[in-house]
Amino acid sequence: MNNRSNLVALWTGSLLFIGVLFYWPLGKIVAMGLHGDWLLAISTPRVLSVLWFTIWQAVLSALLTLALGIPGAYLLYNKKFPGQRFVRALITVPFILPTIVVAIGFTSLRQLPLLSNLLYGHSVVPAIICAHIFMNYSIIVHIVGGAWTTLDPSTESAAALDGAGRFRTLWSITLPQLKSAVISATALVFLYCTTSFGIILVLGGGIVNSIETEIFIAATQYLDLPKTSGLALIQTALTIIVFIVAQRVVRNSAMLEEVQAATSRSRVDRRDWPAVLLTGFLLLFLIILPIATVFVQAFTHGNIFSLVNFANLSGNGARDLLSITVGQAAQNTVRNMVISSALTLIIGLTVLFLLTRRTRKRNIYIFQRVTDILFQLPLGVSSVVLGFGYLISFSGGPLPLRASWLVTPLVQSLLAIPLLIRFIHPALQAIDSELRDAAETDAATTSQIWWLIEVPIIRGVIATAAAYTAIISIGEFGAASFLAYGDQGTLPTVLYQLIARPGGENYGMAMAASAILIAIAFLLVYLVTLSYSPRRPSKSPAYWGSGSTPA
Amino acid sequence: MKISRKILIPLSSILVVGLVVTVINITGGKGPKEVVLVTHDSFVMSKELIADFDKTSGYTLNLIKAGDTGSLTNRLILTKGVPIADAVFGIDNTFADLATSNDLIDGSLTAIDFGDVCFNYDKFWFANQKIAPPTSVKQLIEPTYQGLTVISNPNTSSPGLSFLAASIEIFGESDWQSYWKSLKNNGVKVSSGWSDAYFVDFSGSSGKGAYPIVLSYASSPAAEVRDDGQSQTASIMDGCFRQTEYAGVLKNAKNPLGAAAVVKYLLSSKFQSSLPEAMYMYPIVKDTPLPEKWEKFATLATRTYGDTLNIEINRKSWLTQWTAIFN
Repeated sequence: MNNRSNLVALWTGSLLFIGVLFYWPLGKIVAMGLHGDWLLAISTPRVLSVLWFTIWQAVLSALLTLALGIPGAYLLYNKKFPGQRFVRALITVPFILPTIVVAIGFTSLRQLPLLSNLLYGHSVVPAIICAHIFMNYSIIVHIVGGAWTTLDPSTESAAALDGAGRFRTLWSITLPQLKSAVISATALVFLYCTTSFGIILVLGGGIVNSIETEIFIAATQYLDLPKTSGLALIQTALTIIVFIVAQRVVRNSAMLEEVQAATSRSRVDRRDWPAVLLTGFLLLFLIILPIATVFVQAFTHGNIFSLVNFANLSGNGARDLLSITVGQAAQNTVRNMVISSALTLIIGLTVLFLLTRRTRKRNIYIFQRVTDILFQLPLGVSSVVLGFGYLISFSGGPLPLRASWLVTPLVQSLLAIPLLIRFIHPALQAIDSELRDAAETDAATTSQIWWLIEVPIIRGVIATAAAYTAIISIGEFGAASFLAYGDQGTLPTVLYQLIARPGGENYGMAMAASAILIAIAFLLVYLVTLSYSPRRPSKSPAYWGSGSTPA
Repeated sequence: MKISRKILIPLSSILVVGLVVTVINITGGKGPKEVVLVTHDSFVMSKELIADFDKTSGYTLNLIKAGDTGSLTNRLILTKGVPIADAVFGIDNTFADLATSNDLIDGSLTAIDFGDVCFNYDKFWFANQKIAPPTSVKQLIEPTYQGLTVISNPNTSSPGLSFLAASIEIFGESDWQSYWKSLKNNGVKVSSGWSDAYFVDFSGSSGKGAYPIVLSYASSPAAEVRDDGQSQTASIMDGCFRQTEYAGVLKNAKNPLGAAAVVKYLLSSKFQSSLPEAMYMYPIVKDTPLPEKWEKFATLATRTYGDTLNIEINRKSWLTQWTAIFN
């Protein structure tokens, strides 16, 4: 076997993988969607109102998160105060939590008399928006804050010397310079909110629906496949449009420009009170309170302190609701995470290897471009849509994947591979080509260059990407809710069952399991923040530009 | 031939795909002795009964819960090529036609139990408040009972759908929507499933919720008998729906013989006599002994509504109209 046939095998393997596991189910949805009276099925007042709700709640969530996030970015990245690192870790926790845990956190607030009236009294929409702010606040803070540290502080100081107030300086000097960071961060939050599934499913209670939950309901409650497929197409079109727009904005910006972070950050002083007040209020009511309420309720049974809820986790819930215990679901989740991360790394790195081969042959270049696009398109497909596609494509026929436990890790890796490629590709391209040339002159083979030079250089990026892939797999709920049954349930599907049937001990079990997950997430984030040098705070590992949702 | 590390990548990825295919063929290869029963979320079968089934039949029973009756049926239809289980319990008369028309069942559905979907009220609450409890579903829209009733969503719960069907027969095609609008205006709470409504929101159950009227079963008061031998709850006998639940062997089941044994066991006197306590349903097998308190607190309705309507044809339009009212 020679080098050439090796390459052919790599190309064939990768294209076969994406073709069978992504384009087949997608094609099935498109065919099914366009087959029936799809236009009729999706132009009903109900679907239009669902579409409208999806868009306006996402716009509102994104703008509110932005408005609240800018003072946070200022305080956490531009100023110094005691406990800053702790607060940075704290606000990052919600982002890596499984969305179902976020939903459970906001469900717990229903027990607080005053707040429950505010959030759920007239309609559940305030609760949904607040949950979205909770989840996405750190995106704005980290991206905008990271960009803020690269600004030259002298312009601001000059403006201040000329007597401009802080608001004036912020509005006319600072914000224009942060424009691209602000826009890309807001677009990312908007994207996450349009594909929000677990939060709206739980908090909306079947009464308030977005396209994602409507897809789920149309399939599982109404068995209306043309409508489901039509909705899936709308959702995909919406995501792709937002994605392209966000791409455009970011590409025109100077985001990648490396600027030395300002060395001296001043202490928080009295003139910062509006930012301190707003951020403190937000931290207290939107971040700490839901987390604290989950913990209090996890440790409460019959109004007294108790560990009963944790002990119940070894059982199957009230009236034997669960087919497996929460512990067994955790085992499934860990197994899925290992398999899907391994698969994502194997396929993702293979594709990256192929994409970055330098070639003078035009047809190979075109082939690379096509492959690149083929592996990017899954970014526009939400996990709910992909889960539905798997359900209708692999529940029979030549490849009855649905019956195997591997279906869940497979679909999760399909969601993660495009993100991995997007994340690592720029780092690979940034490797100095002289390094490769020198190695080639010394008669190194392509594979030697890849394994001995390129991969070691981007090792850190690969590790971050792998960690993010693992987080996606752990929290993934949309596809699992279509595919993971019975003894194959994952932590998110089991937690959903518990919170959707809160009678007896189930509610307490949901709280206890969520408390454990929150504690683990906090520990992980805190350890990661510790390992980053405080001098270079602008590198926030969790955000790799506009991506698709981990939900 | 030099085997580079690079070649390991395509090899391993092809291996993985190959593995997938083989694993599928072996899954459920836990042996022909395993039999999987899929049910709705409210199904209860005690560990003793499961052990008894395993011992007497020689199979190992695994239970899967797949949501409410509607999503159970729909998921089975979506996965019927390679079904998620061997046997099913819990498809009721509101979904039976859908199951048969989709050719879901090998053979026919077997009736296992039945019950009357009726409203219950908390007798203690009404006594304390010195309000006369309602005697008919028609009264639930009166100001006296404002903000007192919790029902389950007909989209996601079979008792909910049952009551919707009953209301359509009681009020007729022309008036049922205005009845529901009045119910909504009278502050009815909609929970997603029966167990949430009953165990979380209802004041007369262990959940000690805030609503003294709940959509449940005529037999539920038998489960709320207190120390003095009286039930805390009673049923509103006017406006009930007769619900029948079925079991069956799924088409393409991996273990059809085991599935048939499960269905047979569900008709055995041991399982049938467990039904009243476990699921508040009446055993379908005549002469199955009922618990003593059932004679007193679990009377069946003399007239039921909605069960003769063609639910299969109308479900979608009814639910769409209902949802439009509650959105």
